[in-house]
Amino acid sequence: MLERRTQRIQPYLLLVPSLLILTVFLLFPLLWNVYLSVHNVSLSTILRDWKYVGPNNYLSLLTDPGFHSSLKVSILFVGGSVTLQFFLGLVLAVVLNQQIRGSNTLRALFIIPWTVSAVITGFSFKFIFNDSFGILNYGLEQMGLNPVSWLSDPSMVLWTIVIANMWHGTPFTMLFLTAGLFSISPVVYEAALIDGATKTKSFFHITLPMLKPFILINLILITMWSVNFFDLILVMTNGGPLFASTTASLYMYRQAFEFGLLSKGSVVGLFLIGVNLVLAYSYLKLFRKDGTEVEVARV
Amino acid sequence: MKIFFEKSLIYSVIAVYLFITVAPLVWVLSTSFKPNQEAISFPPKFLPNHPTLENYLFVMTDSKLVLSLVNSLTVSVGSTVLSVTVSALGGYAFARYDFKGKNLMMSTILALFMIPVVINIIPLYIMLNNVGLLNSLVALVLTFQILIIPLNIFLLKNYFESLPKELEEAALIDGCSKIGALIRVTIPMSLPGFLIAAILSFRFSWNEFVLPVVLSNKPDSMIFQVALYQFISLYRIDWGYLTAGINIAIIPVVVLMLIFQKKMIRGLTLGAVRG
Repeated sequence: MLERRTQRIQPYLLLVPSLLILTVFLLFPLLWNVYLSVHNVSLSTILRDWKYVGPNNYLSLLTDPGFHSSLKVSILFVGGSVTLQFFLGLVLAVVLNQQIRGSNTLRALFIIPWTVSAVITGFSFKFIFNDSFGILNYGLEQMGLNPVSWLSDPSMVLWTIVIANMWHGTPFTMLFLTAGLFSISPVVYEAALIDGATKTKSFFHITLPMLKPFILINLILITMWSVNFFDLILVMTNGGPLFASTTASLYMYRQAFEFGLLSKGSVVGLFLIGVNLVLAYSYLKLFRKDGTEVEVARV
Repeated sequence: MKIFFEKSLIYSVIAVYLFITVAPLVWVLSTSFKPNQEAISFPPKFLPNHPTLENYLFVMTDSKLVLSLVNSLTVSVGSTVLSVTVSALGGYAFARYDFKGKNLMMSTILALFMIPVVINIIPLYIMLNNVGLLNSLVALVLTFQILIIPLNIFLLKNYFESLPKELEEAALIDGCSKIGALIRVTIPMSLPGFLIAAILSFRFSWNEFVLPVVLSNKPDSMIFQVALYQFISLYRIDWGYLTAGINIAIIPVVVLMLIFQKKMIRGLTLGAVRG
């Protein structure tokens, strides 16, 4: 009898440590954001009484041109990053899956950028893209082309960062989709081959449909990461020149820790959570409509 | 003819992307062996004119940087051990027990994984400030858990599920307690799974920047990524020193990843999606 009862509470006991950590450091702060967002908390008043200000922080954000411009920058940054990373990652995963000699070694090499931190990626590309002594502009000059102001031209800077982010992020998609390709049984392809399907045909009719669950999760992850990502930008340009490369997440960080406006930062944070949820939900909808049954959190 | 065309297309894609991947790394590596002046000379020289180890000597003898390296190692090892332990317990509960609220809990944990940690830095900053844990390594070890635990629970749950239940049952019949079976049978069989989880945890902790730059940026508790970032606040970046620092930061993770690359993909196949 006693044995039975301990059996029943055992799983809960096993889960206590992880749930405790997640509640204290993830769930509670998340909800606390709401409280902070309707008070006036800044770095200078962090320990003193916080004045209740109602929706003021929200209203001031709505009319803030800096926030508006950061949204535009975010859309371009996320759109560019996700498109590039996804298609390149898919191509690389498929290409490396074609019985190529040394494909394991190649995969290992391709993964390296993902094992390197965003800060380091940022510095390396800041060095390579440097306007005056960067090797890239030197290369362009040698080829008789005009040098480009990679990091100081407001209309160029964001794409420079997208390229750096591509280098850093593509390996994850490649790795993730490779895992997906490994999960497709070769028998399926053999059967298709016997039925006379060409390689292109089997790619569109077998590979892509069977990869769908992997593609869905991959897209959700890389989209969210791009929405929230700012360490790379912080290192490369700190959001400049002017605000040309300040994404919404970097805007949040700068408002909170550069200008000390913690409450205003919280409002942007809550807004970002909303964006993340809407995006994840749209992907799920989109893939459902396509007729695939995808269960993300299947247990 | 067609096959030849196909093969050359495949190999050119690989060659181009291999160049894109490796070139920046090689360039940074080469720069780290140049004296500071030469590092930013124009036109750039591919190989150092006067190869030198002074940049590495600088990094390895600067007391602030060395301390930050030690801090990074401490935090990474600490948070790896903590997260693998805690997640193994949780993952085991999900894999081997049926209990009320199981599905809900698993979905919640997965949903939490999607919540951007960035959004939590402001409340975490205030929280840790109020309990006096700001600028401490403990704060980093604890907060890093939110980056890693959900993924690790998921990976390890699937890993436990892939192990045959029968061996444990046999141990139970032979008179082992459930915990005894866990320690004598399940844990030894799960070591490869723990290894994958540990490598991923280490990679996340070693590279994390956003949490430490906000929560722990004083010299005593600074980690290496933040110390590198401080190069920027200097009037002019010393690229020679910085590139040496970059290579020192890259080495441990790249070595780990290269050694265990094959296992990682297998781990992801098991862990990521089972649709």
